[in-house]
Order: sequence, then structure tokens, then C-alpha cells
Amino acid sequence: MEKGNVPKNPILLTGLPDVGLVGVVALSHCVSFLKMDEVASVESDIFPPIVVLHGGIPKSPIRVFSKESITALVAEMAIPAAAINQLANTIVGWASSKNAELLICIGGMAVQNRQDIEQPKVFAALSDKAVSDKLRGAAEIMEEGYIVGPYALILKKCADLNIPAIALLTQSFYNYPDPEAAAAAVTSLNKILDLKVDTSELLSKGEEIRLRAKDTMRRTQAEMAKMNKAQEYEVPPLYM
Amino acid sequence: MVDAYFKRAEHIAERILVSGWNEISSCIEPLSSVFVGTNDVIVTVDLPYADSKSVRVKVIGEGAIEVKAQTTRMINLYDLGLKHRSGIFSSYHGIIHIPVPVEERGVTRSFKRGILEIRLPRTV
Repeated sequence: MEKGNVPKNPILLTGLPDVGLVGVVALSHCVSFLKMDEVASVESDIFPPIVVLHGGIPKSPIRVFSKESITALVAEMAIPAAAINQLANTIVGWASSKNAELLICIGGMAVQNRQDIEQPKVFAALSDKAVSDKLRGAAEIMEEGYIVGPYALILKKCADLNIPAIALLTQSFYNYPDPEAAAAAVTSLNKILDLKVDTSELLSKGEEIRLRAKDTMRRTQAEMAKMNKAQEYEVPPLYM
Repeated sequence: MVDAYFKRAEHIAERILVSGWNEISSCIEPLSSVFVGTNDVIVTVDLPYADSKSVRVKVIGEGAIEVKAQTTRMINLYDLGLKHRSGIFSSYHGIIHIPVPVEERGVTRSFKRGILEIRLPRTV
């Protein structure tokens, strides 16, 4: 449901609850730092009956914000596994209707030794090889592997419709909110889009973010299990 | 086997119905993760604002460990924006279920990046 001005040919960023809540934390920070305006929300009868109160006003837990050509879709609730297909279709359909210039999904990539990693690396999965120019060296391309969840569907649908799309996945904790990984994701985003989002608050307020996001992470864990998210750790049998 | 089934169902029901913020005991239930290896079980627990020196780990009965820790500051739901709730929290408390038998002796732990890692030797 649109309620504000959505730019033409937007660059659409998505932050859905996933591994480490990287996308949600990263994009919430960007929305706040860039002072983006709320322009739309995503509603569905198959979502649980949830509103989130901000400033005393009930809001949809999945909202779209915009500033100039940048549009960001951020979810504040765990997406039910049963709703992922419909949500992915809606996001890609909306991006197509707005003639989106580029769609960037921001998420995490679980690594077992995350505690030993000082600077999480950022990887990218592309809808098409031609999109690699847009990366500007901000991430290493994932050549082989699995992606499971809403971003898998979004990337595939974008590939089918020739919408340029990138899934930006940062090394992160699987089960714990990871503000440091979110900061690394924002740094990559700054390079790709020429933004100047300062990440220092993500680092200085890391403990508060982890505490605030604890309950959303718990619910996201449950939904990830239903999606067989752990398959991302596996090796594909073929290489063609 | 039936007892184990009902214990597991009770555990799942608790996790669905309980929010993890216990206002009566001023305790927060932390997020945790269990990995079963060949020789040991690795448990990690996310403890933002925890005082690492106050962390206590205890094997309780069969199939569970208890983790407690004090926080370095009082955590007030009001400060987190929940002005309609009155909880103030000063500690973490979690009971983590372990799917295989483990030894109480030889338990090691480390605290890095705010995450507690506990290694429990498996019972031979």
C-alpha cells in the first residue's frame, strides 16, 4: 500500500529478517541516518496479526522508506516461512512496476568461526553476470553454493525478469543479531551507491542493538528452521 | 522415551509462550546455540552487557546446563521504548538443553565479542 511518493526507477534495498538479522539492522540504520520518509507498507492476509507501535501510531511491520532515488524495504517481524513466496513475488512485482534500476537484498552468511573474525567479509550473488559492474569491488562474487530463503526467491525472480539484482551477504553469526556484520554491509553499500552512511553508531551501540533484536532473532530462528536454512552450509552436487 | 517426548514438548511450549524477559526475577533469557561434536558439545550464548567475570555455568541433571550472568548495567524496558511495561533487568539466566550426555568435569569456557562459548566433554 503506497502512501507517499515513490521515486521513478528507484534503487530498491531490502532488509528482511535472516541470518544475524544483518539486513534488518543495516537498513534500519540507513533509514534512520538518511532520514528517509515512509512511503508504503506491505500487507497480507497470510501475515500474522501484528502491528508495531512507533510514536504511539500503529504501523505495518513491513514498511518502505524512500529518499531521492533510494528506496528501502525493512521488516520488523520474522517472515513466516509460508509467506515467503508471496512476499518475494510482491517485492519483485513492485520493483518491476516501478522500473527499478537495481534491487539489492542485504543479509548474512553464517560462518561457524564468526567469533574469530575481526572484519566480516561481504559476498555478492548476482541475478546476472552483467550486474557485476555495479559492485565496484565492494564484495566478492559467490560463484557456487546455495542460498535459502526469501532472497533466493527474489534473486531468481529478478533473473527471470531481467531486473538487475544483488544479494549482498556478510559473514555473520547464524543465531545472534550481528551489528558488526551490519556495519560491514553498510560499508559495502556506501561503495556501491556512493552513500556516506556513518557506521560508528552500529558499533558503539552494538550491545543495545543485540538486546533489542533478541526476540526478533528468536522468532527468525524458528522460521529459518522451517525453510531448511541450514542447507546454505552444504555443497551443491554439480558445477554446471 | 515417552517422558523424553513430553519434556521436549514442554520445552517447546515454554519457548513459544514465554517472552524471555522475566520481570519477576529481573532476568533475561539469552539466545543460545548448541553444536554436538565428536568429542565435545559446544554451546554458545549471546550475552550483551554481561559482566564476563560473573558468568556461572553448571551442568544440571541429565541433558541440560544452566547459565547465569550479571549485567554491567541495569536494563530498563522503559529506556528501550516500552513505556507501558515496568521491567528492570540485572542478570541473565538460561537453561539450555543438551541432546547427548556430557561430563561436568573438564568444562572450558571463553568469552569473546560478547558471546560465551562453553565446551563440555561428551560422556564416553
